[in-house]
This record gives sequence, structure tokens and C-alpha cells, in this order.
Amino acid sequence: MTLIAEIIISAMLVISGVFGLVGSFGLVKLPDPMTRLHAPTKATTLGVGGVLIASMIYFTAFGGGFSFHELMITIFLFITAPIVAHFLAKAWLHRNATPADLPPTGRPKGWAGQESVVEGDKSPQRPQA
Amino acid sequence: MSLVLIAALPFIGALFPGLMIRAGRNACAMMTGSFTLLALILLLIEAPAVLQGEVIRNQISWIPSLGLHANFFLDGLGLLFAGMILGIGLLVILYARFYLYKTDPMGQFYTYLMLFQGAMVGIVLSDNILLLLIFWELTSLSSFLLIGYWKHLPEGRQGARMALAVTGGGGLALIGGMLLLGGIVGSYDMTVILQSRDVIQASPWYLPALLLILLGCFTKSAQFPFHFWLPHAMAAPTPVSAYLHSATMVKAGLFLMARLWPVLAGTDAWFYIVGITGLITMVLGAVIALFKDDLKALLAFSTVSHLGLITMLLGFGTAEAAVVAVFHIINHATFKAALFMTAGIVDHEAHTRDIKRLGGLRHLMPITFTIATIAALSMAGIPLLNGFLSKEMMLEEAAHTDIWVGIFATLGALFSVAYSFRFIAHTFLGPKRDDYPGHPHDPGFGLWAAPAFLAVLVVIIGILPQTVVGALVAATSGAVIQAELPYYSLQLWHGVTPALFMSIIAVVGGVLVLMSFRRMEGVWNALPRPEAKTIFDWIVEGIAGASRRLTDALHDGAISRYLMIFAATAVITGVVSFMGGTHAAGTHQLLPAGPMAIIGLLLLTVASLGVVLFHRNRLLSLVIISVNGLVISLGFVYLSAPDLALTQLTVEVVTIILLLLALNFLPKETPRESTMGRKWRDGIVSVAAGIAVGGLAYALMARDLAFQSISQFHLDQSYPGGGGTNVVNVILVDFRGYDTFGEIIVLGIAALAIYALTQTLLHGRASRRLMEIGKGIKRDGDRHPLMLVVATRVMMPIAVMVGVYIFLRGHNEPGGGFVAGLVVSIALLMQYMASGFAWAQARQRADYHAIIASGVLIAAATGVGAWFADRPFLTSAFGYFQIPPMDKFELATAMAFDLGVFLAVVGSVMLALASLSRLARRAGETVNDTPMDIDPSKTTEEAR
Repeated sequence: MTLIAEIIISAMLVISGVFGLVGSFGLVKLPDPMTRLHAPTKATTLGVGGVLIASMIYFTAFGGGFSFHELMITIFLFITAPIVAHFLAKAWLHRNATPADLPPTGRPKGWAGQESVVEGDKSPQRPQA
Repeated sequence: MSLVLIAALPFIGALFPGLMIRAGRNACAMMTGSFTLLALILLLIEAPAVLQGEVIRNQISWIPSLGLHANFFLDGLGLLFAGMILGIGLLVILYARFYLYKTDPMGQFYTYLMLFQGAMVGIVLSDNILLLLIFWELTSLSSFLLIGYWKHLPEGRQGARMALAVTGGGGLALIGGMLLLGGIVGSYDMTVILQSRDVIQASPWYLPALLLILLGCFTKSAQFPFHFWLPHAMAAPTPVSAYLHSATMVKAGLFLMARLWPVLAGTDAWFYIVGITGLITMVLGAVIALFKDDLKALLAFSTVSHLGLITMLLGFGTAEAAVVAVFHIINHATFKAALFMTAGIVDHEAHTRDIKRLGGLRHLMPITFTIATIAALSMAGIPLLNGFLSKEMMLEEAAHTDIWVGIFATLGALFSVAYSFRFIAHTFLGPKRDDYPGHPHDPGFGLWAAPAFLAVLVVIIGILPQTVVGALVAATSGAVIQAELPYYSLQLWHGVTPALFMSIIAVVGGVLVLMSFRRMEGVWNALPRPEAKTIFDWIVEGIAGASRRLTDALHDGAISRYLMIFAATAVITGVVSFMGGTHAAGTHQLLPAGPMAIIGLLLLTVASLGVVLFHRNRLLSLVIISVNGLVISLGFVYLSAPDLALTQLTVEVVTIILLLLALNFLPKETPRESTMGRKWRDGIVSVAAGIAVGGLAYALMARDLAFQSISQFHLDQSYPGGGGTNVVNVILVDFRGYDTFGEIIVLGIAALAIYALTQTLLHGRASRRLMEIGKGIKRDGDRHPLMLVVATRVMMPIAVMVGVYIFLRGHNEPGGGFVAGLVVSIALLMQYMASGFAWAQARQRADYHAIIASGVLIAAATGVGAWFADRPFLTSAFGYFQIPPMDKFELATAMAFDLGVFLAVVGSVMLALASLSRLARRAGETVNDTPMDIDPSKTTEEAR
């Protein structure tokens, strides 16, 4: 039993290490911000996830019973990482992309962050809340 | 207790005029007067015992650790002065009721007057010299208010400033002198000091103490060369001049010299300094007084002269002279207050005080004329009036002291006669004129009642001195001399003595001088004279300029310069003292550095260097700074300080968010401001400071502390004393609760300051610049994206739950109100960031100012609660309770205190955020009332 647990733990650690390395390598190697975004958000999420699974198995098998901490970390990671990626992408689109560069959205509204409002032109006067 | 009450009554009375003025001027004056009258009655009840030679004492221990006791005592000297202050005070209140014009705010006047009265009474009744000093400074301050009462007159304001500068400066010297005196004796009690004459006079500190005390006395009593402020203080309303500048405040210096006479007098230093200063002041004041055309200026210089006379008598150091000084204090107060009041009446009715424009008033104002003549003749020293008696005795003493002193004293008396006669002759005598600015006539009874009463006193004392004031003079002199009274007699006829001849010379000479006044005035005006005000202004200007230059050189508004000076000074003083001592290496064994520690240190170093390199890019440097903050919180975790780590982490998050928001309104790049040389200079100083601090920390950690640290006490007492196992939290809310209380107040004030500062940016030029920022900026159409909105909504209850958890467990486990407040603030901040300020703001009702205030109030109420259990402020109590289905749990009052901390933190953070968002709106940010900019559910509906 312990051997199986140890094997699984080792495998998870190796997998997470590989993903971590790939993610970091991608961050250095990929050419522009939008592609570079893939490396940390996807790869390191998996990388950290691997460590967390390893940790959970370790504490369940050898430590003081089932551990919830890793689940919490996972939840927070799953909430924060996509939002950060979303914002990075939005910011890049807002600053660099023109509508011509982007494919159509197929909806009445355009790309998020592209529907720019230039202040002073048409800012609607709303009552001060 | 009655002495305390006597001293307190005027202060209590000072509270009422402002209210009573609404009931009318009479009610106001009567209310004010009743307090003085009450104090006077209380004093008179004590008087018989004091006149018998008893000393009445009241003692209250105030701050015993400083040797400061609210001890009061009443002996003859105190009785005389307190009687004068309250008695003449009562007359002045009556006089002022009719003197002040309809446009003058009377309530304010009486409040100032009562404050002053209380301070004066406090001086003369204090049995503790520290207490005396407090009252002494209070008289300087309240007299400043009184002199500057007519705020619209530049002379009033300048005179008030000059008086404050001179008497306040003297007051500082007096503090030094009194502390020296207390140090010599080893007690601050006047009674003890008065019995330590030999100790004091044998001490090497005697002379410095004497000089400093005399500096205080001379400035207060307008002695040469500090006499110049008194005439300028005449810009005050006449009741003030009559009260402060003849009867009371200027006599405070005399009082103190008389009070300390038994221990300070009798040495050569005392004789020469005090005696000669007094003599010069007396003669100089008398001569200048003669040539003054302003009635009040004449009286002011005559006051200077008479104060000099009394100072000189005290300076002689003999018991006989001290008796005369006491007697003259009484006489001078009566006739000079009356004279000031009559001068005020003349001014009030004729609308001028210029002697050159007056004359012949005897026909128009017979009552005023009579009063003024009696008082002025007394001032001149004419027989049958009280001034004659004390002047005769003064001349007698002067003649015994030295032939030259006698000659100068006679000269002073001669000029005194001349100006007194001039006061009468040039104002009241002569032909009636028809070019008075006003229509002079005798005023109503109210205005002349007070001077008339004093004039009656002048005559009665003059005729029956022994009967009227004999006992008072004896008691007072006894208190001054503190020994057997010498032989003296208060009577009209002393036989044919040298003083009689000197007196005759003075009167005849005075008349002759006045007869040749026109010619002498020509000579006087042709003489070059130093103008005191010009010199004073020049000195003040010089000192102010020098201070300004120094301040500007040190603090020119650039924070880099402050920091440079501060750091360099600290390093240099540290190095100098390090070089002066011996040094041995620390004895503690160094711990091995683990890989975690090394990585952390490297991160810190790299991040710090990064800030230095990229400091001009503000956003980037902020990001790097946040790395530092995170590493430091990790460091706290590494060093097993979870409380600090939690606090550091949350503080870091809040600060960085707020700073990011603030960066919106600032240029993206800091402009280049430093030259290469300055960079080198700053670099060297900061590296030196860093090495110094690091070295100091290392040196401290490498050895045992020189004294026992308090940590062990905290560890031992945390649970038994504070009821909590989390020592950090118990320290915060219990052991050092008072500190925390102060800190949350500071935090609240800081938040309010941010609010106030941003408020000012919403108007004027700053506002226009803010609006410029917003123009032409391409704004994101999706500033409040769906993903963030949903995520923060999900996080909100979790975060608040965590906050509550951290709050509740704070007393025993890491956590507490401060961290909980920050966590909840962050949860709220997230909502504001996700959906915009206006949307979030519309969903909360509490006002941030009110949240801060309620936090401080709850903390304060918890602290006050301890009083009801007869414990000191902020003593915490705790107990263990059980509600059946739950475990036993603890409730501590510290929790309520922590709630206050929590609220203050939340309110402060949110108020800072609100302030920034107000700026943003002014900068053109639009307000959203929907939770998110693009709502997919709505968009689909629209698409259909």
C-alpha cells in the first residue's frame, strides 16, 4: 500500500515539476504577450495542482489523516488564475489591438475591452450616486 | 478647601460671561462680578486668622511623581496680593461695564479678565513653585488676550505680541531659575524653600538661579531694560491698563521678589542687581513720563518708575526697606488704578488722551477732576495722602543706604512730582478750550464709582495709616521678612528727618521743572533717544529671519533632504559615540542560515535594488515594493510570528491597492530631479545608514541585553493577567491597550486627513488639473468584467467569514481586531473594484466617518467601563461561560476593545478608498449603476 502511495506521489511530483519547468520555459521563450499568457496560466496551474495532489496523498497515507488545506489552495488558485489571465489579456487588447486585428465576436457587442469610451466625447451625465 | 476654591472661582467665572451676555450687559457684569465677590468674601473670612500670623494651607497631590502638588497657602503676602487682585478686580469689572463701547464684545472681555484674575490669584496662593509657574505662564497668555482685545487696532495687536514676547521670554527664564532653585533645595514646595536660605545662598547654583528668576521678575514687572513693553501694552482698553498694568500683573514680579526675599536677598549680588536696576528704572521712568503727551503713556512710565521704586526697596535687602516696599505696593495700587480709570474717563468723554489737546477740564468734569487730583497728588507724595507716607519712608531708606542712592531717589521723586502735577495742570487746569474732539462732561455714577472709591482709600490710608492698613502691613511684612519685624511707624509726622528735606526738595524742584516745561520739552525732543519699539522689532525680525533661514536650509520641502539630514545626523552621532566607548564582540552563537532564509534575503536585496534602479517608473517600483512586503511577511512566518505575518500581509495588500488607485492621478514617470553629485551624496548617506542600522541590530542580537527585557513578563502574565494565550493580542488590547487606543485614533485622524486633503483637490486649480487628466484617455468599455464580479461575489462571504473567525480567535490564537478589520476591508475593497465605487456605495448605508468614530468610541467606552469596577482606564476583565450545547468559552472586555479597533480599521481603509474615488470622478471617471459593464444575460435579450 505504502509503495503504491509512494509511487503515485513521486509520479505527481515529477509531473508537476515537468509542467512547472515547461511553464517557466514558455514564459521565457514564447514571442509575444498573448501567446506567453498560455505558459504560466495553464502549465503552472497544473504544476501546482500536481504538488497539491501529492501533498494530499502524502498526508492521507503517512501524515495525520485527510488534509483539507490543499483543497482550499486549489479553490483559490482556480478562482484567481483565470481572472488574472483574463485581465492581462484584456489589458493587452485594450492597449495594443485594433478591431481589424480581431475576429468578429458574432454578437451585438464587440470584444471586451475594445468598446472604448473616450472621455469627454460622449460620457453620459449620470446622477451622482 | 477654601483656598482652592478662591483660586478656582475666577476660572469657573470665566465660563459664564460668554453665556450671560445674551441676558444683557448688566447681567453679564453682575454674574462675573459675583464670582469675584464670592472669592473675595472667602478670602476675607480667612483674613482675621492670617492677620494674627497664621498660615492657612490646602494641599492636593496632583502629579506626585513630578513633585507637582496643587498646594495652596495663604500668609500675609498672599492675603495682600489676593485682596488687591480680587478687590481691584471687582472695581474693574464695575468700571468696564460702563467703559466698554456698545460694539465691544463684553462677554469675551470678562472671560479674558476672569482667566487672568484666576491666574493671578493662583500665583499668589501657590505653595508649589511648579504650580506657580503654570499660573505665571497663564497670566502671560491671558494678558496677551486682554492687551490685544481691540483686535482691529494694529497697536493693540503689536503691543500684545510685544508683551507676550517679553513676559513669555522672561517666563521661560523663570522656569529655569525655579527648577534650579527646586534642585538646590530638593523640594518644589515654597514653604520648604523659604526655610532653606543658607543652603540656597551657599550653593554654586545660587547666582544662575538668581539671575534667571530676576529675569522673569524684571520682564514681568517692566524693569529696565525690559520696561519698554509696558507703554505699548497701553493699547489695551483702560480697564485692562488699570487692572493689569498698575495693580496686578506687573506686580507679579514684585510679588515673586518679595516672596523669595527671605532666601534670595541679603547678598551682594542681590543688592547690586536688584537695587541698581530698581533705581535706574525709577529715575528713567519718571523722566520719560514727564515728557509723554498721552495720558496713559504718562501713567505707564510713572508705573514703571514706581515699580522701580519698589524693586529698589526690595533690593536694599534690609527688613525696614521691605516693610516700606510692602506699604508702597498697597499705596501704589490704590492711586494708580484710580488714575488709570480717570484717564480712561477723560478718553471716554473727550475722545482724546493727548495732553496737548486737553486742559480746562476742571470746569466740565468736576468729579473726575477731584478724583484725579487726589490720586495724582498722592502719586506726587503730597502730605495727608498715602503716597506721601511711603515716599517719605522710601527716601529715608535711600538716604540710609548711600548718599548717591539718596540723591538719585530724590531726583526720581522730583520728576515724579513734576509729571503728577503736569497730569493735573495740563489736563484739568487752565482755561476751558473749545476744540475738544468730544463733548467732555462727567460720566455716570457707574464709571466714576470705582476710582472714587479708590480715591477715598487714598485719603483714609493717608490720614490714618496705622488704623486702616497697619495690621495688613505687619502681616505682609512678616511674611516677606520671615523674621522679627523691625521697628517702623506708619504715621504722618516723623519729625525733622533727612527724608523731610529730600521731600521738600522734590516738591519744590518738581514745581520748578514743570514751570520750565516748554523749554525742557524742546531739549528733550532734540535729544537722540533709542526707540524701544524699533529696536525690539529689529531684534525680533533678526531672530525670526535667522530661524527661517535655518529652517529653510534644513527643511526646504524636499523629503530627500530631510531624510538625508536625519540619516546623516543619526549616523554621525552614532559613530561618534561608538568611537568614544569600548567595544567587545557579541557572545551569542550564530545560527546557520537555511536555504529559505537565503532565498528570502536575496529576494529582498534584489527587490530593493530594483526599486532603486526603476524608481522613476512608478507602477514598476510599486510592484517591486510589494515583493518586499510579501517577503517580509514570509519572514515573519519563518521566524514564527504568525500575528505579524498576517498583519503584514493584509496591510501590504490594502496599501498596494490604495497606492495603485492613487497612481491613477499621478504622472506615470517621476521626473529626473537629482543631479549626479546629489545621487552620490544620497547614495553614500543611505548606504552608511543601512550599514549602521544593520550593524546595530546585529550587535544587539549578538549579546544579552543590558537589562531584563519585558518579554518574559508579558509571556508570564498573558494568561493569568489578560485571559488570553495569544501574547501579541493581549499586549495590544490589554498590557499596552492605551497605545492601541492612541493608534486607532491616529489611524482615524489619518483617514480624515486623506479625506480633507482630497476634498481640497476638488476645488480650484487642482480640480481643473484633475479634469485635464481624464480628457482624451481611451477608456475600457468593460471596466467591470463579468468574471471578476462573479468571483468577488463568491469570495465575499468566505472572506467575511474568515474575518469574523480571525477576530473571534484573536485573543488566544493568531489574529485579532486589526487583522480582521483589514481582511474585511479587503473583501469590501474587492467589491468596489469589481463593480465600481458608485454601485458598491449604493449598497451600504453606514457613513465611513461614523464607522471610524464608533470604533474609537467603543474602544473608549470599554476603557471607561473599567472605572466602574474601580480599576484604571482600559483594565480588561474576562470570564468563562457555558451555554449548554456549546463548549465552555471565554468572554473578555478586550473583545469589545478589539471590536473598536476593527471598526476603526475598516472605516479608515474605506474612507481612504472613498476619497480616492471622489478624485477619480472629478478626473472624469464615469459612474456606473449596474454591477458589470457587459451583462451577458441582458445582451442575449437585447439580441432577440
